[in-house]
Amino acid sequence: MSEQERRPEDDGRDFADAAWSVPSYLLAGMAIYGGIGWLLDRWLGTSAFFLIGIVLGTVLAGYLCYRKFGR
Amino acid sequence: MTALTLLAADPDKFTPPTPQELFELAPIAGIGWLTKPVLLAILSSIIVIAFCWSAFSKPKLVPRGIQNVAEIGYTFVRDQVARPFLGKDADRWMGLLLTLFFLIWVWNLMGVVPVLQFPVASHIAFPAILALTIYVLKIYLGIKHQGAIGYFKNMMFPPGVPKAMYILLSPLEFASNMILAPFTHAVRLFANMFAGHMLLAFFSLVGFWFLFEQLTPLGAPIGVLGVVMTIVFTALELLIQFLQAFLFAMLAAMYIGGALHPEH
Repeated sequence: MSEQERRPEDDGRDFADAAWSVPSYLLAGMAIYGGIGWLLDRWLGTSAFFLIGIVLGTVLAGYLCYRKFGR
Repeated sequence: MTALTLLAADPDKFTPPTPQELFELAPIAGIGWLTKPVLLAILSSIIVIAFCWSAFSKPKLVPRGIQNVAEIGYTFVRDQVARPFLGKDADRWMGLLLTLFFLIWVWNLMGVVPVLQFPVASHIAFPAILALTIYVLKIYLGIKHQGAIGYFKNMMFPPGVPKAMYILLSPLEFASNMILAPFTHAVRLFANMFAGHMLLAFFSLVGFWFLFEQLTPLGAPIGVLGVVMTIVFTALELLIQFLQAFLFAMLAAMYIGGALHPEH
C-alpha cells in the first residue's frame, strides 16, 4: 500500500490494541485483587475484602487503560 | 440429520440435547484417541493443504480459477490481519497467519457441513494447542527481540504511569499478558463454537421432534419455528465461524507484533 494509507492502518492497530486489551485488563484486575481479598478474608475470617478487592481491581484496571489508551 | 442421533431416553417427551450427548463422542473403531473431531481435524488439514497446494504450487502472474479464490483470502489476511499489527514484518509472518486463518475457518465450517456437522474447535484441546503455540512463540520472540529483562520490563512497566502506581499495576499487566491472554485466546474460539453447536442442535431437534416424531396440531407451529430458527442460526453461525477464524489470526498477529516491538 502507498504511504498515504499508512496512517489509517496505524489508527486501526491502536484501536484494536485497546479494544482487545481493555477487557483483559479488567478481568486481570478483578481476578488478582479479588483473589488477594479472598485470601485475606479466609485468613482474617472476614467477608468484606473480597468485594473491596474486586472494586479496587476494576478501578486500577480502568486507570491503567486510561493511562495507556486514553491519551 | 443431527437430530436422528440425539433422540432422548424418554420416547414420549421432548428433552433438549445435553452437552454430554453432543460433545462426548465415542471412539471410532475402538481406538481411544480417534474420535469424530480428530478425524475432522485431519480432514481439515488435508483440505487446507490441498487447497493451498492447488492454488499456489504453480502460481500465474494473472491468477485464474482456484488461485484467484486463494489470493482473495491471502490479500484479506495480509491487509486486515498482518499489516495493521506487523507493519513491514507482515510478509514474513503470512505463512503462519494464513495457515491459522484457513485452518480455523475450515475447522469451524465443519460445524455446518451436512452429515459431518461438528465444529472441531468446540473441543477445547484444539484451540488450546494453537493458542499455546502462539503463546510460546510470543514469549520466545519477545525475549529474542527485547531481551529477557527488557521484555518483562516493557510489559510490566508501561510508560506514562506514576512510579508509585507500578506496585499496584505491574501484577495486573503481568496477569493480563502472561496468564489471561492465552486463556482468552483459546476460550473465545472454543466457547463460540461450543455455543453455536448447542444452539443449532437444539433448534434442529425442536424442528425434527415436533414435525416428525410427535406431530400434533399444537406442536406443529413450534416445529416450523424450530426449522426456521435452524436456518436463521445456520446463517448466523456462518458469519461467526468466519469472524472467529479472523479474530484468532488477528490476535495471533497482535501478540507477535507486541513481542517484536515494545509497546509505544
